[in-house]
Amino acid sequence: MPGPKPKQYVTYQSDQHDLEAGKREVVELHFRVAEGYHVNSHTPKSELLIPTALHLDSSTDVKALPAEYPAGTLYNFSFNPSEKLDVYTGEFTVRLPVVAQAGAHALTGSLHYQACDKAACYPPRSLPVQIAVTAK
Amino acid sequence: MRRASILGVMVVGIALLLWAGWHNLRERKLAMQKARENQVVLIPDKAGQAEGEDDLAPKMRGKQAPNFTLKNLDGKKVSLDDYKGRPVLINFWATWCGPCKVEMPWFEQLRNQYAAQGFEILGLADDADAGKDAIAKVAQKSGVTYPILLTDGKVQDAYGGLDVLPMSFYVDRKGTIVEQTAGLGSKDQIEANIKKTIASGGATETGGL
Repeated sequence: MPGPKPKQYVTYQSDQHDLEAGKREVVELHFRVAEGYHVNSHTPKSELLIPTALHLDSSTDVKALPAEYPAGTLYNFSFNPSEKLDVYTGEFTVRLPVVAQAGAHALTGSLHYQACDKAACYPPRSLPVQIAVTAK
Repeated sequence: MRRASILGVMVVGIALLLWAGWHNLRERKLAMQKARENQVVLIPDKAGQAEGEDDLAPKMRGKQAPNFTLKNLDGKKVSLDDYKGRPVLINFWATWCGPCKVEMPWFEQLRNQYAAQGFEILGLADDADAGKDAIAKVAQKSGVTYPILLTDGKVQDAYGGLDVLPMSFYVDRKGTIVEQTAGLGSKDQIEANIKKTIASGGATETGGL
């Protein structure tokens, strides 16, 4: 029996991307962390922490190159000032270089992340991501 | 003259040591005070008040604690039933959960403090991907000596699904969940819940392990 859809702490703003066919272009993927929460950046300061990472399904129409993640900001829990975390809060943008064949395509995948607020943490989540690309 | 200056240096040295000790104690008190000011209790004190926060409602409070059999870090099977007749705190945590790691040294200390009343803590690592070694390392670093058990994906559901960590269930001697908490609370709150758990379900039995 499938359970209820898990609550998401990050949202994705789906934009239409118009690109030049056959050329390397960068699409910007805009995400927003819900207010009062933070997620680890792509490069958290401990190997135990779960990094934010984009996983894309393979596509023959749109070749995706390694994503470029923004730097995080330093954060610490008030109860543990000595342990610095590297996190995203509010809006953050992942830059994804792609080479698209001519036509309209949808690149699919997910953003894997793990969120906390100031007193609790939430199990890792995968946020579905669909990137609409039209290349001419 | 020389003796006097040596004596002077000694006096200054002792004074510095005393000052450093006092300063350290003061800093620690301030840090604890700050942590208390910032603590958040995610579950309301009374059931049924969690408007719009259904996933955080203490839905297991008042129910019988579901039994489970899980492996500890040595691969030995451990069941909740092994602790029948004893007050038990079941704490779900994970290696990636910062607030969880703050509580664990408090748990260890309180477990020792209330051991004479038969009280025990079971730390359930809700951490499928971390691996046993990472779990053991974090537990050791936190100074934990109470049993750490590896979850099996089913026990989380049996306890109402875990939408937030840390999540704790206080089980009395009769196996009833007398309290359920989510998120980091204060050490005082945890101790009050432990006392309530020990007092509940009749305090005459001391059975169990």
